[in-house]
Amino acid sequence: MRAIVAASGEGCQDPHIFNDHGCGFEAPGTSLFFPTPWLDFGIPLTSGITKYTLLLLIVVLLVSAFWLVTSRNAKVVPRRWQSIGELTIAFVRDQMVRPGMGKHGDRYMPLMLTLFTFILAMNVMGIIPGLQLPVTSNLAFPAVLSLIVYVLWNVVGIREHGFGGHVKAKLVPSGAPMWIMPVLVPIEFISNFVFRPVTHAVRLFATMFAGHMLLAVFAAAGFYLFNPDAGGILSVVSVGYSGMALVGFLVFTAFELFIMGLQAYVFVLLASFYIGEAIEGAH
Amino acid sequence: MNGRPGGGDDTPSPDGMTIVSYLLGGLAVWGGVGWLADRMLGFEVLFLPIGLVLGLVGSIYLIITQYVRS
Repeated sequence: MRAIVAASGEGCQDPHIFNDHGCGFEAPGTSLFFPTPWLDFGIPLTSGITKYTLLLLIVVLLVSAFWLVTSRNAKVVPRRWQSIGELTIAFVRDQMVRPGMGKHGDRYMPLMLTLFTFILAMNVMGIIPGLQLPVTSNLAFPAVLSLIVYVLWNVVGIREHGFGGHVKAKLVPSGAPMWIMPVLVPIEFISNFVFRPVTHAVRLFATMFAGHMLLAVFAAAGFYLFNPDAGGILSVVSVGYSGMALVGFLVFTAFELFIMGLQAYVFVLLASFYIGEAIEGAH
Repeated sequence: MNGRPGGGDDTPSPDGMTIVSYLLGGLAVWGGVGWLADRMLGFEVLFLPIGLVLGLVGSIYLIITQYVRS
């Protein structure tokens, strides 16, 4: 919360509406996503150790702990923790992996399961009180994950069909006459080999970025509008609108939780479709 | 955004996203080629719109043959 409060009242003594200081509302900006580094090594193009690094560490520990607890002492008849883990596995397998890859998908379950729980945990960091920063709101994290899927997509395609077969399946559309190929092949190349991994990463990044920004605006507005000392009707108006901003914040927090789950689901679903398509070859 | 969690018997499909990347790809490739041609041949704006239209036609052709008919 401190970052949001600071954003709404930089250099202002009492950043509320209807008081003598006359501070305007400063909406939270993109500085939310560039936290001050705690440790800066001065290496160019790196951010140093920031809040993102800490949150990433927490996420890795949490997800590892979750799978350790749920898979330790596995019994045929699952107990409480084990059944939670098995429900997660069944959900990922039946809702994401099998629709994209069919029975082939079972070999890729470890990757998909890790991706899903890891991304979900990184997203949910955005609404944990005190932390409140989705790790995936920094493009670097989704970009690396989609790069892994992209490399795997190429490796699987080349292993199944050979280099020529893989490239041909992705570049030459089936059933189109030869004379139109010069127009279509560059389009296929750019959309399959460039835009697809990019949109795969940007989709996750952009929704988390925008959602976090929305919540920050609601929180900053609720803080700015709250001024019960304004006097008379102004107090009522200010507290009333502040309450509305608070309600909006809570409603959109719940909505964000839904979006966080949905985006983790969509990312893994698309990954499974891409790899399934590489196994199949020509579409 | 396609695919709803727990969406009953209709299997979610990523075709929506593929279609978007086809449209973007067509516009970017042939629009880019047209823009380059304008730069090199010294036209103000001539091949850029031609390229954009060509790219869009190509994308829509691809979408129809690959995703609508199959």
